[in-house]
Amino acid sequence: MSFGLATFTALLHWLAMGKLGYTFQAVLRQPVVMALPIGLIMGDLSSAMKIGAAINILYIGMVAAGSNLPADEGFAGVIAIPIAVQTGMDTAVAVTLAVPFGVLGVFLDQIRRTINAGFAHRADKHAADANIKGIWYCAVLYPLILTFFLRFPPVFIANLYGASVVEGFINVMPDWTLHGLSVVGGVLPALGFAITVLIIGKGKLIPFFIIGFFMVQYFAIDIMAAAIFGTCIALLVVLMKTGKGARSAT
Amino acid sequence: MTSEPIKVYSDTEKSKEVEIKLTKKDINRSFILWWLICEISNSYERMQSVAFCASLSPILRKLYRTKEELSEALTRHLNFFNSQGIWGSLIHGITIAMEEQKANKKKIPDSAITGIKTGLMGPFAGIGDTIDWGTLKPIIFALACSFGATGSAFGAFIPFLFTLITFVEGYYLWNFGYSVGRESVKSILQSGWVQELITGASILGLCMMGALAATFVRLEIPLSIDIEGGEPLAIQGLLDSIAPGLLPLFVTFAIYWYLKKKGQNFTIILLSILVLCLIGSFIGIF
Repeated sequence: MSFGLATFTALLHWLAMGKLGYTFQAVLRQPVVMALPIGLIMGDLSSAMKIGAAINILYIGMVAAGSNLPADEGFAGVIAIPIAVQTGMDTAVAVTLAVPFGVLGVFLDQIRRTINAGFAHRADKHAADANIKGIWYCAVLYPLILTFFLRFPPVFIANLYGASVVEGFINVMPDWTLHGLSVVGGVLPALGFAITVLIIGKGKLIPFFIIGFFMVQYFAIDIMAAAIFGTCIALLVVLMKTGKGARSAT
Repeated sequence: MTSEPIKVYSDTEKSKEVEIKLTKKDINRSFILWWLICEISNSYERMQSVAFCASLSPILRKLYRTKEELSEALTRHLNFFNSQGIWGSLIHGITIAMEEQKANKKKIPDSAITGIKTGLMGPFAGIGDTIDWGTLKPIIFALACSFGATGSAFGAFIPFLFTLITFVEGYYLWNFGYSVGRESVKSILQSGWVQELITGASILGLCMMGALAATFVRLEIPLSIDIEGGEPLAIQGLLDSIAPGLLPLFVTFAIYWYLKKKGQNFTIILLSILVLCLIGSFIGIF
């Protein structure tokens, strides 16, 4: 793959995983967002978007409670999307390819947060001297430099050589494994939804999940329609329960 | 942010000074700084504390004119802190208000400030994780992914709606915390409307997850059983005639129950899915 693409994706990934802008970086690192620049550079926007969206679905319910990433969707996407587009991989197989990188990325984040503790100690010393500039170095500059060394090299190398390695693997794999991997890719999104249901955490409300599920299965409505019906159902339930709405509704 | 030399006033000079008031601009600038940097320096030992201290530092420098006071205030805010960045903004708002009172010689002990921070960071992290990360984010990303799945570049722009909404949300919560004070903010935790918001958001979130699971989870059994003297019985056709999508629904809930009973062990689930699907593919049931 091209040197330019490898450099660009690695830089973008560093920006996203450096965590600049609380709810900006959380969006920038998502596969469905990263798919746009990757697709534009590779000249295949449509495939990149499809693959990005498929990978993203897997991580849709991830909540980093206590800042602990359960899986690193950013690392998964930025490596799997270019390789999958390059090798013309089936979307479901691409999802499976993304998973191990999602796991590896968590280790990188653990290293980051371990070393960051050292900067917090430096900040203590600066606070004792009332040195605000020093505290800012510990809050922004040092952690960003650290993240660069953690994030840039692996993405750069994976995107420079990854496609040919993966292509070599695919060529020698028997058909049943390739089919198996696409079955895996079809089942994995279930994990993403199961996690979301768990995070939302209201067992009593699970029938609403079933409603959404069979609305699509039976009536083949699209996601926007599900959002509209879902919003109305949610409003009805909450307003009826509070009584205020029940009275004004009659 | 830059370190100008800190002016040291003698006590007599200081007592002549008028009350130090923070402006709206001070408050808002502090929020923007926090929003920009709150996760950058996150560490296992101190979590968001360095970011907390840094984002408040312009305000602290304005409030505390002596090096000793400033140093004490900075050290106070390097204490352990971890909340959700958006709903946690309420705590920053309250903290700023308390520091302002303290700087103006009101009796506010350090322990009161630290206490309010550590006491509220957990509950508001819970609310923020549920509303922003657990519900709002999946809903917006669900829309984005369904556009993306058709190959549309529009899917890459929708997620920034999440950035926009949460930024505005945090901005208001930060200012709200500053203006209403600690007792009113504590009462939010008991008030009904937050619970109603969470219930409503949960219902919408679950509906969307169901709809998405139906769209994206794929599992079929292409087996058929030969029956003597009759049409072969296709298992998938049989399942579909009961209700469409039974297998994806079953798989989703099987994983849900496993997560609920055995905790969030993703690696084991990922490996199990991988192994089971590959075996299934090898013997031909999937």
